[in-house]
Amino acid sequence: MAEITFDGVTKIFGDNIPAVDQLSLHVAEGEFMVLVGPSGCGKTTALRMLAGLEDITAGSLSIGGTVVNNVLPKDRDVAMVFQNYALYPHMTVAQNMGFALKIRGQSKGEVARKVGEAAAILRLTEYLDRRPKALSGGQRQRVAMGRAIVRSPQAFLMDEPLSNLDAQLRVEMRLEIARIQRLLGVATVYVTHDQIEAMTMGDRVAVMRGGRLQQCDTPQDLYDHPKNDFVAGFMGSPPMNLLRVGLETTDAGVALALGSQRLAIPASYATSHHLPRVDGPGVVFGVRPEDVEVRDGSSADSLTTRVERREALGAEILVHLSLVDVGGDNAIVVNDSGAVVARPTKLVAKMGPRSGVSVGDHLDVRLNPDHFHFFDADSGLSLRRGV
Amino acid sequence: MTTVLTPPTESGSHKEPPPLKPPPRRIGRWVLFGAMIVVAVIMLYPFFVMGVTSLKSESQFLSGGGFSWLSWSSLTSVIPVGQEVLSSTIVCSSSIFIILCVGLPAGFAFSKLRFRLSTVVFLVIVSAMMVPLQAILMPEFVNVTKLGLTGGYTGAILVYAALGTPFSVFLFTTYFRGVPDELIEAGIVDGLGYFGALWRLVLPIAVPAIATVTVLQFIQIWDDLLVGLLFIQNTSDRPITVGLAVLAAGRTTSIPELMAGSIISALPAMLVYLGFQRYLVKGLTMGIDR
Repeated sequence: MAEITFDGVTKIFGDNIPAVDQLSLHVAEGEFMVLVGPSGCGKTTALRMLAGLEDITAGSLSIGGTVVNNVLPKDRDVAMVFQNYALYPHMTVAQNMGFALKIRGQSKGEVARKVGEAAAILRLTEYLDRRPKALSGGQRQRVAMGRAIVRSPQAFLMDEPLSNLDAQLRVEMRLEIARIQRLLGVATVYVTHDQIEAMTMGDRVAVMRGGRLQQCDTPQDLYDHPKNDFVAGFMGSPPMNLLRVGLETTDAGVALALGSQRLAIPASYATSHHLPRVDGPGVVFGVRPEDVEVRDGSSADSLTTRVERREALGAEILVHLSLVDVGGDNAIVVNDSGAVVARPTKLVAKMGPRSGVSVGDHLDVRLNPDHFHFFDADSGLSLRRGV
Repeated sequence: MTTVLTPPTESGSHKEPPPLKPPPRRIGRWVLFGAMIVVAVIMLYPFFVMGVTSLKSESQFLSGGGFSWLSWSSLTSVIPVGQEVLSSTIVCSSSIFIILCVGLPAGFAFSKLRFRLSTVVFLVIVSAMMVPLQAILMPEFVNVTKLGLTGGYTGAILVYAALGTPFSVFLFTTYFRGVPDELIEAGIVDGLGYFGALWRLVLPIAVPAIATVTVLQFIQIWDDLLVGLLFIQNTSDRPITVGLAVLAAGRTTSIPELMAGSIISALPAMLVYLGFQRYLVKGLTMGIDR
């Protein structure tokens, strides 16, 4: 077992655009670190550099305190699980799992013992004599896991190992992988683009975008205190509502200007956040869908909205709302030539399965004032003090 | 007198059941089957003639009737068939061994390793497939003669290997491009080097490609006359095709003996083809369904 440290690690491919840019990240012993981000954000490249499958352009990468920039993959003592499992098709399950041990010259008895133990953990004992083509997707995935764990490596590297499984199996394997990782206590770097996997599996989650690390935190901290509007929008399903709004002074204090409607900002935000001056460039205001609540009758802290669309998910309903401007139901502004010059401000609200809302309804919604988020309109960085 | 009343129909007249027509798919299958029989007859007729003719003596062949093993028994006294088949086997297997030894790692490198100018080098090698044998035969002959290799098998083996390698590089490269990179990378993370990955992971799954190269090259080399004629000048080392050519070019040629020799010459290539046919189809269609 070992810790992993990325220190200013950069990878530049032929096009001179950094795929990974100055990545600094520490994975503690036994920690489950999830790298998450959209396609092309550099998470897989970072993992491949860790495995030794890509050269490092700059920076240093160490495993267990030893810099491994120039160490061959076979000498790094890491095990990797690939997206398509990469099982050896001409070998049985037992041969697949024991292959790395065999290469390292371990005795047949030792290999068989370790393979047997791993197979028991993964519930693969009865499939040891089968070839990969005779296994289901979930079983193949478990064999790939088994191939990694028999080696008792310093670190596990997993590259989107669940992305080829169906939704139900993915949930099962998510729990299975997390269970095995906790059981073995080996530092794990897990790459995914699925933020639900990231939230549910990781001790900490590192969010990447355009090769740069955006934020690394525990899942709950990422969700509650995103450092920028990208993290706020990426983590959470459905994502946080992000609205670019102006600030105005009203009788009740500072308020957000949402079209023709005004929403008072609690005074506490003036001290907890670096809010820009009134009539300035404005801010990006964020509120989670679960913090949008329907209330009876309009009030100073509510907004009048119209239901544009509803998506029933069984346990909840996602309601897409547009802010209603005074004097009209539809705030789409069209110029003389027919082109849309302004659209209604949109919000998504998460509601209970039995909330009887229909498309076209007018709803007064209250945005939970305890969970407002403010981001700089230009940089996208959180305006919360102390970030 | 009885009157048979027929129940009225909706249209007022009897409806005849539609005549039974064989479905178009079945007709198509019969047409295809017929065409295949015609092609098979055209292809097999020469073998039939060879077989029948070889089972006659010279006089029976001229008179048109009779049966005799004479041409088969006298063949060995006319040409050293056993030695020539052995020579063909040595030349064939050695050339194919070299072709595989070069083509397999080259295909692996071109498909899986990143190195400067790899595409250009690959195209240059593959473009050699377009050059006909006849165009380079004389320069090859001059070179091999200067090296003093025109006596025994060596010169011919080198020439056959040089001629067959571009195709094998092309085929192996195409095949390995269909093998996921992750398979090699998994082996490398597990502790293999590139040669280890080639030997322990790639080779076992490259059987269809190896079989395809082997069969196609075997047929080509075994059936070739020109290179053997030019580059193997020791009469004791000449391959079966050269032996048959000598037999055919004799002052008096026994057609039944020639036919018997031709059967011996054709049989190994046919057996190799039939034996590897399953892999051959797989090997030639690889890449299509990926």
